[in-house]
Amino acid sequence: MFPRELSSPIYPHQPTSTVIVILLLHCTQCFFLPCRLAFCNRESRTSRCLVVSPKQTPKLLGEIAMDAKDILGLSKTSHPASQEKKSRTVKESQRKPDGISREVYALIGGVPPLMPAVEPLQLKKRPPTDEKITWQWLPFTSSARKDNLQLFHWVRVVNGVPPMGDYSFAKYNKSVDVVKYTDEEYEKHLTDDMWTKEETDQLFELCQQFDLRFIVIADRFPSSRTVEELKERYYKVSRSILIARAAASPGDVSEHPIVKEPYKFTQERDRKRALSMVLSQTKHQERKDSEVLAEAKRIAESRMAARNAKESELPITFNVERAIVPSETLSPSSNSEFPSAMVAPSTSMAENTSTLASLRMLRVYLRTYALDQMIQAASSSAGLRTIKRVEQSLQELGVNLKPRVPTKSVCAQHLELRKEILTLLNLQKQLQYKEAEGSSYRDSPYETPGTPKDRTFVPESTSFGGDVLGERVGKRDQKRKAPGRAEAPSSPAQPKRPRKLRASDM
Amino acid sequence: MNNGSSSTMHGPDQPEISGPAPAPKSLRTKMGKPEDSEKKIFHKKLKDVEISVPIVYGNIAFWLGKKANEYQSHKWTVYVRGATNEDLGVVIKRAVFQLHSSFNNPTRVVESPPFELSECGWGEFEIAITLFFHSDVCDKPLNLFHHLKLYPADESGPMSTKKPVVVESYDEIVFPEPSEAFLARVQNQPAVVVPRLPAGVALPPPVPVEDPSNRKRGDTKDHPLCQWFTNFSEADELLRLATARQQVQTHIAKFRREITLLEGQHQQVNSVSDQ
Repeated sequence: MFPRELSSPIYPHQPTSTVIVILLLHCTQCFFLPCRLAFCNRESRTSRCLVVSPKQTPKLLGEIAMDAKDILGLSKTSHPASQEKKSRTVKESQRKPDGISREVYALIGGVPPLMPAVEPLQLKKRPPTDEKITWQWLPFTSSARKDNLQLFHWVRVVNGVPPMGDYSFAKYNKSVDVVKYTDEEYEKHLTDDMWTKEETDQLFELCQQFDLRFIVIADRFPSSRTVEELKERYYKVSRSILIARAAASPGDVSEHPIVKEPYKFTQERDRKRALSMVLSQTKHQERKDSEVLAEAKRIAESRMAARNAKESELPITFNVERAIVPSETLSPSSNSEFPSAMVAPSTSMAENTSTLASLRMLRVYLRTYALDQMIQAASSSAGLRTIKRVEQSLQELGVNLKPRVPTKSVCAQHLELRKEILTLLNLQKQLQYKEAEGSSYRDSPYETPGTPKDRTFVPESTSFGGDVLGERVGKRDQKRKAPGRAEAPSSPAQPKRPRKLRASDM
Repeated sequence: MNNGSSSTMHGPDQPEISGPAPAPKSLRTKMGKPEDSEKKIFHKKLKDVEISVPIVYGNIAFWLGKKANEYQSHKWTVYVRGATNEDLGVVIKRAVFQLHSSFNNPTRVVESPPFELSECGWGEFEIAITLFFHSDVCDKPLNLFHHLKLYPADESGPMSTKKPVVVESYDEIVFPEPSEAFLARVQNQPAVVVPRLPAGVALPPPVPVEDPSNRKRGDTKDHPLCQWFTNFSEADELLRLATARQQVQTHIAKFRREITLLEGQHQQVNSVSDQ
């Protein structure tokens, strides 16, 4: 049977009910190529096996593949065989290592390295020297040793000539020049109640031995003396010896450090004690200390500021010859550290003068800046709400919040106006309180006094109306809803109060 | 307001003079010496005498119209001038204008009056103006800040190349303790407001800081842009302030009356309830 003839009846004619299963099995002979095909038609329940000879398999497979693709609806245009060939060659050209085998190249990543490696050839390169270097085991002596001990070590010999010079580490053999005194000198200058000659000699020997390392010396000292005591004795002796020896020319030794700044026993002892205290402080203690320091700094700064203000005000008080009240109130208010604690009138004066003083310090400033400072000083006692109300009132009065032409007189007037508005608002508040008080007097204990708002006695914000220039005061009275309390209580328009009064009169 | 002595402490009804009315004794004794070396003049300061220099600073901006491109749509000039267009060079030595960093050489120094700077640009930004004064005036510079305005406030109107956008601010430079040399030098200069000196204070003859023959005209009276300058007058503002103050004072008086009345009433009630 020839396979070509079989190719056409492969297609099912009832596609809905048939399922085509294409089984591609490996050929037993050549293994790689599937060459046995089995078609199973469910309906017919027959399986057709198409056995194809290996020689014809590639071509037939290609055709059958095309047919299968047709059935499945895949594209037939690609040539997989050629594609494989192309990618293979491309990949192989990429994978061309040079100098190392392919597998090793793959091990280290398969791609060229980011950085060029240091060529081993470069490392070993050294200029070929003309010198002949040998190393020899030779004896040596050191000037640092006093006992002529001979030791051996490796020496780099150049052209048969060993190196000259002292042992290279001998230069590090430094020691301290401890003063040496004779017995006569001791008798003459160095006798002390606290120290015997033996002790002093011992001390000096230890000092020489241990290069003035007093901690060690104190440890080794036979009788228990503190480090400070030993130090004191040593420095006192040195100082006295130096001065005594240089008695002929005292000027020479005066530059010596121990002569210039002698050792102070008590100071050292206290310093060390304080240091140990600080070191052993707990965290709690540390925090407390820092708080106290910050507080002290603040107080000192405020004192400085007050003193500066006072100093700049002094010329003012000098200029005023007459002993008038304002100057008297001025000096005490500036002398105190916290002038805000003072009574209101002197406070405003103090604020005024301190602002002026600070402005004077500036040596040059803009008028608008000065005005701002004065306004701030004047409204320092007022809350934000009050300041807003002042600004609102200014707007109602038709006045610019910041003067458009801030000349000296304009600024002064503006400031005074603001102050007056503040006074007005305070008075208004006072009046409201008085009114609330009054109502609490008159009302029965069980009746809660109405708030001023209920009575609409004084409007919440003093309204100045729109027309600035032509407004009469009387107009405002008419605007009120309830009759003003300023009128006599006997007026018949009054609702509550007269009735109560009459009741109590009875 | 300027002097910390007695005058400002009594109520608002103070005559607004710069110097104190009575001559302070201390000053009089100071003035005893007729001969002073130049250095001493420089440093000797007069207290309670304040010198003020009224200035106007701001900018004028013209739209370039057809010649405008994306980066240069306006030509603007920022300046500091005397309020009455007088020469500020007697007081100011130089002015430094700090422009936006996108300008090259954003720090522009103007060494002589008129203290102004012209540029082309498209953006609005804040310009910091630092004024440096002559050595006998003040050794500390003064800073002003002006927001450059190019575009008109109402966007509805058509932009015209003829009518510029002008924003000016009035202010006064105040020297609270001027040196005698400064005072002497600017006595008769129109740009500077010098108060009436206290009686008995004699000033030494003025020492010029620079050669007067070298200086060119520094005033802005005939400045090419002077037609756009605003005339700042304090009269209107003073009037408004005076009226406002009067109103407030009337209200204060009224409230005070009402409070005393109420207090009287409270006392009445108290005495009644005591019975």
